[in-house]
Amino acid sequence: MDERTRIEIDTLIASDRVVLFMKGHRRQPQCGFSATVVGILDELVPDYTTVDVLANPAIREGIKTYSSWPTIPQLYVAGEFVGGCDIVRELYGTGELHEKLGASAPERVVPEMTITDAAARFLRDAAERAGQAIHLRIDPRFQTKAYLGPAEPGEIEAEANGVTIHFDLASAPRADGIRIDYVETAHGHDLAIDNPNAPRPVQQMSVAELKQLLDSGTPFHFYDVRTPEERATARIPGTTLVDADVAAAIEKLPKDAMLVFHCHHGGRSQQAAEHFRALGFTNVHNVAGGIDAWSREIDPSVPRY
Amino acid sequence: MALRILGSADDVQEQIERAIRTALPDAQVAVKAGGSAHYELSVVSEAFRGKSMVQQHQLVYRAITPLMAGDAPPVHAIDRLVTKAP
Repeated sequence: MDERTRIEIDTLIASDRVVLFMKGHRRQPQCGFSATVVGILDELVPDYTTVDVLANPAIREGIKTYSSWPTIPQLYVAGEFVGGCDIVRELYGTGELHEKLGASAPERVVPEMTITDAAARFLRDAAERAGQAIHLRIDPRFQTKAYLGPAEPGEIEAEANGVTIHFDLASAPRADGIRIDYVETAHGHDLAIDNPNAPRPVQQMSVAELKQLLDSGTPFHFYDVRTPEERATARIPGTTLVDADVAAAIEKLPKDAMLVFHCHHGGRSQQAAEHFRALGFTNVHNVAGGIDAWSREIDPSVPRY
Repeated sequence: MALRILGSADDVQEQIERAIRTALPDAQVAVKAGGSAHYELSVVSEAFRGKSMVQQHQLVYRAITPLMAGDAPPVHAIDRLVTKAP
């Protein structure tokens, strides 16, 4: 690595308390490992800096020598190299990352679980045959992975129907109330995990329901995701047009805020709604049929186009 | 003895072992090939004593960096690295 690259990396690392070298941008990670670390950081710190190594080949190679670490992503906190994806995930699981980042430590919650007889038989057999513990990892986006491996220090153990399952600190509270079944699928038998804590899918809202909601005076956030030209032609009162600034403002709302999106017919707004749901919003709605349905069924004074 | 082809997985496994032993002479190294230049490593060395997991991994990665550099390196990724002191 040449001196200029070293100085550039030094400057980047000093530019913020939390700096992540990753593939892609915070809002658009280009690799699964980078996306995992972004998901964890998003949960623990409101603001941090990301550096897209794909945009700068000198930094992409240089950062590996800089830290003696051959892979991207790489996380730095207060100028110190913390680790790559596996280590960040591990520190997150034990609560050490919370401490490093100044976030409040997760509580030790022992989740209540329901395990069906079929699932219990399958899990007991698998654990006995491998001579290892059963682990369940639930990431901030509620993607869930079951695996066998040695028991890790600091894990939380929960028991149901004669089966013990190991959780890391962050996964345990997300598992409270889960139901584990063993079912037949198109690809043979597999575990089916039903998690009541997982964010609800985007809810469809009819224009009649929208009218009721508006009349009730319930506070909610109402967004128009069409183009400014379409908006000049016809609009529903009370909506805000989504541009880059508004999108950034939505991201800062509490995750349980009620978000309602509409467009012309409901397609673009569905995508927008899915985008914010993936960011962790739990109360996201799409106006089915869009402003066209609104004109036809609720308010004919809104022009159709 | 099996025929060995230069650049084959066997050969790379040896290169990895040698590179780590050069940096950490007491190291016990186990290398497992995972296909398409992916490897799993387990290293035991006195040099790890008193060091954090990141520092332990950095010692290993520093040793094998030359094998991971460039556009088509013999080692593309280490899928799993386990380090411990004896």
